[in-house]
Amino acid sequence: MDDGGEGEAMNETRSATMRAPTQGGMPRRDFLWTSAIACGSAFLASRLGPAFDVLQRSQATPRAPGAYPLAKPENIIYSTCLQCHTSCPIKVKILDGVAVKIDGPAYSPQSMLPHVPYATSLRTAARVDGKICPKGQAGVQSLYDPYRIAKVLKRAGPRGSNRWVTVPFDQAISEIVEGGYLFRHVPGEEKRYVPGLKDLYLVRDPKLMAALERDAARVAKGEMTLEAFKQAHAAQLELLLDPDHPDLGPINNQFVFLAGRIQPGRKEFSQRWLKDAFGSVNWYEHTTICEQSHHIAYEQMTHQYKDGKWSGGKTHMKPDTLNSEFVVYFGTGAFEANFGPPPTSEKVTSGIVEGRLKIAVVDPRFSKTAAKAWKWVPVRPGTDGALALAMIRWIVENERYDAAFLSHANQAAAAAGQETSWTTASWLVKIERDGRPGAYLRAKDLNRGDTNQFVVWREGEAVPFDPYDKTTPVRGELRVDRTIGETRVKSVFQLLWESASSESIEQWAAICGVDRETIEQLAREFTAHGKKAVAELYRGAVQHTNGYFNAQAILALNLLVGNPDWKGGLSAGGGHWHEAGDKPGQPYPLAELHPGKLGSFGVPLTREKTHYEATTLFRGYPAPRPFYPLTSNVYQEVLPSARARYPYPIKALFLHKGTPALSVPGAQAQIDALVDLEAIPLFFACDIVVGESSMYADYVFPDLSVWERWGMPHTTPDVPTKTSKVRQPTVAPLTDTVTVYGEKVPLCMEAVMLAIAERLGMPGFGADGFGPGMPLKRPEDYYLKMVANIAAGDGPGDAVPEADGEEMALFLAARRHLPKTVFDPERWEAAAGKAHWRRVVYVLNRGGRYEDFARAYEGARVAHRFGKLFALYSEPVALARHSLTGERFSGIPVYEPVRDAAGRAVEAGAGFDFSLITYKDILGGQSRTLPNNYWLSQILGENYVIMNARDAKRLGLADGARVRLVSPTNREGLWDLRNGERVSVEGRLKVVEGMRPGTVAVSWHFGHWAYGAADTVVDGEKIPGDPRRRAGLCPNVVMMLDPHLKDVCLTDPIGGSASFYDTRVAVVRA
Amino acid sequence: MEARTLRMHEDLLRALEKPAERRSWAMAIDLDKCIGCHACEVACVAENALPPGVTYRKVFEVEDGEYPNVRRLFMPTNCQQCDDPPCVAGLPEDAYTKRPDGVLVFHYDRIRGKDLYRKISRQCPYTAVYHDDGRFFTEQTPARAPYEERPTFDYGEARHRTGEEPTVLDAVRKCHFCVHRLDAGLLPACVTTCVGGAMYFGDANDPDSLVNSVLRTRKAMRLYEEEGTRPRVWYLTGTLAAVETCRSCHG
Repeated sequence: MDDGGEGEAMNETRSATMRAPTQGGMPRRDFLWTSAIACGSAFLASRLGPAFDVLQRSQATPRAPGAYPLAKPENIIYSTCLQCHTSCPIKVKILDGVAVKIDGPAYSPQSMLPHVPYATSLRTAARVDGKICPKGQAGVQSLYDPYRIAKVLKRAGPRGSNRWVTVPFDQAISEIVEGGYLFRHVPGEEKRYVPGLKDLYLVRDPKLMAALERDAARVAKGEMTLEAFKQAHAAQLELLLDPDHPDLGPINNQFVFLAGRIQPGRKEFSQRWLKDAFGSVNWYEHTTICEQSHHIAYEQMTHQYKDGKWSGGKTHMKPDTLNSEFVVYFGTGAFEANFGPPPTSEKVTSGIVEGRLKIAVVDPRFSKTAAKAWKWVPVRPGTDGALALAMIRWIVENERYDAAFLSHANQAAAAAGQETSWTTASWLVKIERDGRPGAYLRAKDLNRGDTNQFVVWREGEAVPFDPYDKTTPVRGELRVDRTIGETRVKSVFQLLWESASSESIEQWAAICGVDRETIEQLAREFTAHGKKAVAELYRGAVQHTNGYFNAQAILALNLLVGNPDWKGGLSAGGGHWHEAGDKPGQPYPLAELHPGKLGSFGVPLTREKTHYEATTLFRGYPAPRPFYPLTSNVYQEVLPSARARYPYPIKALFLHKGTPALSVPGAQAQIDALVDLEAIPLFFACDIVVGESSMYADYVFPDLSVWERWGMPHTTPDVPTKTSKVRQPTVAPLTDTVTVYGEKVPLCMEAVMLAIAERLGMPGFGADGFGPGMPLKRPEDYYLKMVANIAAGDGPGDAVPEADGEEMALFLAARRHLPKTVFDPERWEAAAGKAHWRRVVYVLNRGGRYEDFARAYEGARVAHRFGKLFALYSEPVALARHSLTGERFSGIPVYEPVRDAAGRAVEAGAGFDFSLITYKDILGGQSRTLPNNYWLSQILGENYVIMNARDAKRLGLADGARVRLVSPTNREGLWDLRNGERVSVEGRLKVVEGMRPGTVAVSWHFGHWAYGAADTVVDGEKIPGDPRRRAGLCPNVVMMLDPHLKDVCLTDPIGGSASFYDTRVAVVRA
Repeated sequence: MEARTLRMHEDLLRALEKPAERRSWAMAIDLDKCIGCHACEVACVAENALPPGVTYRKVFEVEDGEYPNVRRLFMPTNCQQCDDPPCVAGLPEDAYTKRPDGVLVFHYDRIRGKDLYRKISRQCPYTAVYHDDGRFFTEQTPARAPYEERPTFDYGEARHRTGEEPTVLDAVRKCHFCVHRLDAGLLPACVTTCVGGAMYFGDANDPDSLVNSVLRTRKAMRLYEEEGTRPRVWYLTGTLAAVETCRSCHG
């Protein structure tokens, strides 16, 4: 704000309400950004050049009608939201340097349908606003959150005490890197030596890293004895975590980076830093507490067979709802969470109103999407797979599947059948002696070809084929169960049928709590629209111990109707231009531009992407803790593994934009790990506000919010056109300015990483970070190269136009309020490269790159196609073993009850008569929107325990009654914050009809005890929390801990998803 | 699917080429497409810099029926810009203007204070008026946030809430179809942001406008039409369930 024009009254108000008490004449509240105003230094105005100040005041505060300033392109910067993962493009409107209004850009297909052509001028687009959800609009309230921190905080009391001192950035970095007796001032920690990162950054030579990795792998494979390894590396054994288990990797792995919502851009930046330059494999993000099993189910179904193994695969596809005739949503919908109300909702509502589309919603809760549905199916939680298998049974029995599509065994057959994709439905699978399906039958097994050729049965003989053969069509029979020579085989379709027919429809109906008629109606409707019917799923169906199989069964429905790549069918989406620079003709291949890259190896702390049997840790079954060979980023397992020191102890944790203490089911175990000084000797966090997890940190570094920083988020496949979104600074940063590599930059995640890299001399950062004369000293040195790659496109002739003179002028004018620490056109031009600069400006001026809507479809198909093989049977899953039971997993979707880590069925015991589910209201994301965005909490001030009226009547509970949730592993219904405070899982009851009896739902955003809700003491001064931010309840802590492991929630052993919806609770009067 | 926003934007630019007295703004809200997301409500608060408790637009929600046959209806409301506005009865004539395009303008320097607010509120059957009592969302936090200190552009004039003149403090405030945006060639904020695509807006005098076309082709009703208020906001619904749910509340 510019202070000058606001009058005396204003300044008096400010000094009364904001000026902090002082000690020795120095203002003490300067760790909050708001203190910049309080101290009279006017944080925004002070950073404006005087010329801009005048210009903006004359332009931006009109007195005459028609001079509405928010319609001028000079007052608009396009960027990307992150109030939820949909990451919609945003049009940030700026007045006097302050972001005051956020709209959807006309350029973006997520905001407007059809969006305006990419070439549309900035002046025209300025006057056309698109849509954005309420969370996105409230973004300015996250940006200017009064509790945002500007300075580095160091713990002044025990972990979780919320007592802090501000420390200079350089001191904090120095302490973290060097270690020492850092908490002498805290009673009980006087003699605690904290190891620094320098003590973990032991392997620094890339050649040595590679040699250790190579030989450790040979030891694990039994190709080299441990003794031979120890002899060969006698001088380096102390660099390893455990010389007896060299495959665990180097000491470097004791540094763990744990991120919550991290996206492309920061993802690659932080991986370059941790994995490629620091040499630790332990980089994690949060997807297993979101919907990872859905990703893994897609990945297993879409991976391709190449060079003797299955790899690649898409993690995500979506219905082409713009053209669908029937969509059945399992555990999700179109209007609340999922991949975004703005891109999907209107396609659905207009389809329904126009009579083109019918939808069904499978969800125990009558959601807003269910309110528009042809049929609401209140399924029993965790049985979505049973319902899908019942539908499959009916569809196969009634022969309502696309037999021709399913018979295509290779690419040539698909092409001959006018299809773009094909499946393994007709492929033969070897049945082992115990009756279990194992590997696919290879031509080599019959001595009729090699291992890259598979086999179908057709007209009385085995037919070998190459799945990617484009010239000889091979079709196979679907129902095969026979022996070929000595080998018993079945077709994949036969295996699917056997799974679907393992129960009668009545039995399936009893399992999923949906009557037979409804199952048949759903299956009939699903098969009554040709290729324009889609089964869609998201979080609700997969955050279960059986999540992977639920997803597989639902995805199989799509293959039965052969809908991929068809208009109205299952769509891979438009994709994006590749920011990483790995396409021909792109100027900056960022992964390659890494001189001295160290690399990393070893078993991840979570034992993910790792087969137990392939490690030197293998000692028979059960393994001490689960291995997750088929998934990654097992978020909930990071801290408990560190606490259990399995497979090894850690020394340092860097938490970024994530909050395991609040967001992980059975969160008490996460809190208990965070306060354990021996399990996590050094813990630093980077956050915009001191949150429920960062409050346990030893140091908290302020981060930039998404409206002040860079990012390159990808787009939901719901969007049929190619889209590359760019997140860029829209307003001056609220955090302190710090110096790294001699450069002044705003405090943020990148600044912390750069400063540590500088101090440790990590490769790939600094003056010649990308190569001679190519510095990586500032965030934009990295991100503008990504924008240059997007601008260049994915091949020759694919570049965007250059910005013309007017666009260059508007580019500068719209950034007149940004300080030099963020924006300097000469510096930006150098970072992007002179040759690319005007094209980069063209992209930045539009907040990304968007293919025109006219390119979305070609005839009856989507223009951007998957066009490959779908594996209806997953060989990697079928051949992998459960690390505790030693049993093999099923390669075909099956229904499984709730199981613990040891593979035993979970029983809640008597008295817990409700299933607990969560959901997200459209007004809230998980932990950072409600209730701290006051525009949103004005509409929804608290959340509720939602219960069906007949259950409430049975329990004698009235609407509005205060109730508490208790569960078998949290019998008091409490969070113990381990700082003397306990928080009850308690809220008001909402009695409705739209909830399955026997199930209660609690929306997931409220129930904060930090993040501006708690009193915080900094430098001896108490900053009171805001009582509004404590409203409601967060149910995560009562979700069940695994009965076998006891220190982590129930988890899907294949997909890795944390179970949010398998807990039985009791609802008691508070 | 129709190109809703772009078509209405063209309708708007065409209308702005005509003399003001030949335009007639109309709004249609499709209840079958409203998904109850409240984006319009928050967009309105952000667009007009509204303080706590002042929401020109609200989305009401009602559940009806019995498990498992449940209905849920979402009902956005705002000032209906009545052609016979009952709210202004007894007000001095210089307190308000009925623009030729239909927008009911409150003159902030003339319509002030809690008493006048109560009178107007009593007279409005649509509960569409609010009093700006000077509060801020962030007043009990470490500092007032800067987005709360910016001027509002209601009726095309920058007015302040921070003590500077001209002020909007103490004024009686309500929806004005975002006339400051209309006059600058932008559709109202609730219309452009509508996530479900339920909002239609344009010139009722233009037979080619999209709003006219939906009013012609869809079943449309107005709230309390029988009271002779002649509102400029229509509600569209083709589903019996919505009508039944409406009836369950309003008899």
